[in-house]
Amino acid sequence: MRISRRKLFKVSAKAGVAAITASALSPLMGVVNVAEARSSRRNKLQPFNFVVIGDTHLYEMSNHRFDKTFSRAIDDILKLRPRPDFVLFIGDLAQFGKVKELEKGKRFLDRLERAGIKYFIIPGEHDWYLDMGRTWKRMFGKPFWSFDHKGVHFIGMNSILVEDYWTARNMSPEERMLAIAELECHVCGLWGVGERQLEWLEKDVKKLSPDTPVVVFTHSPLWEYYPRWNFQTKDAPQIREILSKFEKVIAIHGHVHQVVYNRTGNMVHIGNLATAWPWPYPPVELPYPKVRMLRVDPGDIYDGVGFASTYIDETFIGTMKYHTWAELIPDEFKDGVPL
Amino acid sequence: MRFLKAGALLGAGVLTGLSISLFMNIAEARKPFSQEDLKLMNEELMALVKKGDELWHSPKLGKNGLTCANCHPDGANSNPHTFPKFQDNVGKVATLREMINWCIKKPLEGKELPEDSEEMKALEAYAIYMYRGYPLKPGDNTREYPPVKVKSGPGYP
Repeated sequence: MRISRRKLFKVSAKAGVAAITASALSPLMGVVNVAEARSSRRNKLQPFNFVVIGDTHLYEMSNHRFDKTFSRAIDDILKLRPRPDFVLFIGDLAQFGKVKELEKGKRFLDRLERAGIKYFIIPGEHDWYLDMGRTWKRMFGKPFWSFDHKGVHFIGMNSILVEDYWTARNMSPEERMLAIAELECHVCGLWGVGERQLEWLEKDVKKLSPDTPVVVFTHSPLWEYYPRWNFQTKDAPQIREILSKFEKVIAIHGHVHQVVYNRTGNMVHIGNLATAWPWPYPPVELPYPKVRMLRVDPGDIYDGVGFASTYIDETFIGTMKYHTWAELIPDEFKDGVPL
Repeated sequence: MRFLKAGALLGAGVLTGLSISLFMNIAEARKPFSQEDLKLMNEELMALVKKGDELWHSPKLGKNGLTCANCHPDGANSNPHTFPKFQDNVGKVATLREMINWCIKKPLEGKELPEDSEEMKALEAYAIYMYRGYPLKPGDNTREYPPVKVKSGPGYP
C-alpha cells in the first residue's frame, strides 16, 4: 500500500513539474488565471493581518547580540496597529538546540502571549538535531498542524527531516547538531517533510473546497532554490501536487534569512528575514530578481534583519510587509510585496 | 618536491632583481612541472584551503559564538577578487586580510590575527578558492558576488 502511494506521488510530482514549467513559460497566463480566481471568489473574507517572525538563532550566553534584535522585534510587534491576529514563528528559535536556548526563546515568545497575542510555531534544523526535537516538542507540542482563521486554512509543517547521517559516522548528538548547524553541511543531505506528513497533509485538505484560501508555512522553501544550502524541501513537488486543487496558496518560509519571492502554479512563495543575521544570495538566478534586499552594513547588528506582517484582504490578495531597522527594502516594496 | 622548493627560491631571487620580460624567458626555458609535481603542489594548497574552511566555521576566532560562515556560507559575499578596495567600514583602501580582521573584530567580537599568520593565510586561501575562476576586479564596490556554485555533499566540487 505504501509503495503504491509512493509511485503515485512520483507520477503526480512529474505532472506538477510539467505544470510549473508551463506557467513559467507563460507568466502572463498565470497572472490572468489568478486574477480570474480572485474575482470569482464568492465568500468574501474578513480582512486581517498576522506576523511572521523567525530564525532568531538564540545562543546560550546572556545579553547576546541576537537577544537584542529578537527583543526589539517583539517590542515592535507589540506596538503594531492594527494588532496582528496572531504570530507565526517560522523555525530556528535556537542556535544549537540546547534546552537553555529554547527556554530563552520561549520566554521571548511568552511576552506575546502575555499581551494577548497567540503564537504558532514550527521547528527549524537548529532547534531539532541535538535531541531529535525532544525538548522542542515538550515545549511547543506537535511540529505540524493546521487551523482555520477567518475563513483561511493555515498549515504548518516540519520540513527539516533528513535521513540518518550520524549513526554510521558514530557521531555524538553534539556532533550531529554542529554538522547540520552549518548551512553548507557536507554530510547532512537534503531534507523534507517525509511520508507521514505527506499523508497527514492529504487527509487535512481532503474535505476543503478548491476556493478555500490556504496559507502554508514551512521552515524551508517549497521550491528548489539552492540545494547546497538546503534552500529546498525534498518532497516539495508532492506538497505542491496535494495543494494544486486550490485556487490559490500562499507559501511562507524562513531559513533563507533574506527577501526572496517565487511563483509555482497556483502558489506564491515568499521568504522571511531572520532577526539574527542575513544570508547572502546563492549563486543562482533569482526567479524574481526585483524582489530582493539591498546591501547590508555588517557593522550594524540591526541591519539585514527583521520580521514581516502579512495582510490578507477580502479576496485573499495578500501583502507581505517587511519590518526592518535599516535601508534594506527597495522603494518599490517598502509598503509590501504583493502575494 | 625538494627540487621544486629550490626552483621556487631561485625564481623568487631572480624575480627580485630582474625585469618581468627576462623572467618570462627563464620560465620558457624551464621544463614544465610534471603531473606529479602539480599534484603535490595542489595537495599542499588544498590542505591550506581545508584548514581555512575549518577556521571559517570555527567559533574560536570570536567571542560571541559566531563564525565567518554565519554570514558567508561557502565564502559567499566575501568577494576576494574585488580587493584591495575602499572599505566604507574600515575607512580606507583595505586588503582582503584587513577586511577579514575587521570581521573578526566587529561582528565576531574577537581578537585580530597577525596578518602574516598561518591562520590568516588559511582563511584567505579558503575565500579565494571559493571564488576560483572569477576575473580580478580590484576596487569593485558596485555589487556583491556569489561564490562558485557548489553541489550538495562533501568537498568543494
